[in-house]
Amino acid sequence: MNVEQYISSGILEAYASGELPERERLEVEKNLKLYPELRKELALIEETQEKLLMKAAIPPNPSLKKSLFEKIDASEKSAKVVELSPADGGISFWKFAAAASITIALITSYLAYDYRDKWKKTENNLAELTAQSQQMASDYNTVNQRLDAIENDLRVTTSPDFSRVLLRGTANAPTALASVYWNEKTKEVYLSIQDLKELTQENQYQLWAIIDGKPVDAGVFDNNFKGLLKMKDIGSGAATFAVTIEPRGGKLAPTLETMQVAGNVVKS
Amino acid sequence: MEYLYDHYAGALLGVVARILRKEELAEEVLQDVFLKIWDKIDSYDASKGKLFTWMLNIARNQAIDKTRSKEFSKGKKTGDIDNYVNRIDNEGFVEQKVEGIGLQNIVNTLPEDQRFIINQHYLKGYTQAEIAEEFNLPLGTVKTRMRLAMKELRNLLKVE
Repeated sequence: MNVEQYISSGILEAYASGELPERERLEVEKNLKLYPELRKELALIEETQEKLLMKAAIPPNPSLKKSLFEKIDASEKSAKVVELSPADGGISFWKFAAAASITIALITSYLAYDYRDKWKKTENNLAELTAQSQQMASDYNTVNQRLDAIENDLRVTTSPDFSRVLLRGTANAPTALASVYWNEKTKEVYLSIQDLKELTQENQYQLWAIIDGKPVDAGVFDNNFKGLLKMKDIGSGAATFAVTIEPRGGKLAPTLETMQVAGNVVKS
Repeated sequence: MEYLYDHYAGALLGVVARILRKEELAEEVLQDVFLKIWDKIDSYDASKGKLFTWMLNIARNQAIDKTRSKEFSKGKKTGDIDNYVNRIDNEGFVEQKVEGIGLQNIVNTLPEDQRFIINQHYLKGYTQAEIAEEFNLPLGTVKTRMRLAMKELRNLLKVE
């Protein structure tokens, strides 16, 4: 929501003068909870309205006050202090006492409301802040994990112990391209995809290393990752790497007809 | 309650009287207003606005309800609208001086179109919707003029 535009539409003024239809009023109340700027603006509007109307006051007839408080008194007496019968005598004292106790009770309950409200607001703010800091912690973790992955990729690609084997597209997929990073000493194998087509759910890619003329499984993968993917360790002496399309989970022996990319290890 | 009465009865009577335009009725309604405030003070929710605004809305609604009542329309028919409003316009407001500046003087410094809205709304007791209808203005225009006027008044009344 554009708060500035919302404010300048004059809706808060209409809200403060109490003439919004129910639906709009509830919407404003909802927005007030969400946007502190709106609360600030509304407070200024209310203050202006109050000052203006205070200046436009008409002093009521003094007799009005008397009759009003007699009515309040009477309603309270019938509701709460019925046990006080006139037989006790000193009825005007009791009237006074009832009125006074009611005044005090009223002020107290108003203050209680006020404090409860402040407490509620504080609690809401706290909940908001807690949620925010949780979000930040989880964002931080995500970024951290991503950073770890990138650092590892960098270690692999820049290490002299890893040789890069470029796997070019076969006749099945002339534009396909992938790379294998292979450390002959530690037997680690990493794969990165430059271009491999999307597969259906039933199929997966499978990487093979050809060692002594025999295909060795180096693990299956989907082409949904970025950077480097760690594959199965293989024995030493790989001469060629190749990728085939196999049923999900892979097979024991490659289906040569589905070979997508292949590349020979260049001995340095 | 007594504090609320002493403090706000005048302002609320002003509001009620401007809507009803009849003195005796206005004071009668004001009494109902305070009985209602007394009754409902528990339901006042400070997150929705100031206490005065809450009381103001009770007063306004009570007065508007009254204008729809039989008693009121009967009075209207017999032409019994006294010149109470004129008294308010001519004396009441000018007399009510705070810090030596009359309300009317303050309102008079507003640009014409804003002064008009403020006068109709706060001094004559029309709702924004009534102003829009009566004077053939789009409600949005009334709202934005009211907004501008209130912003100007904020300075004039030294609200900060």
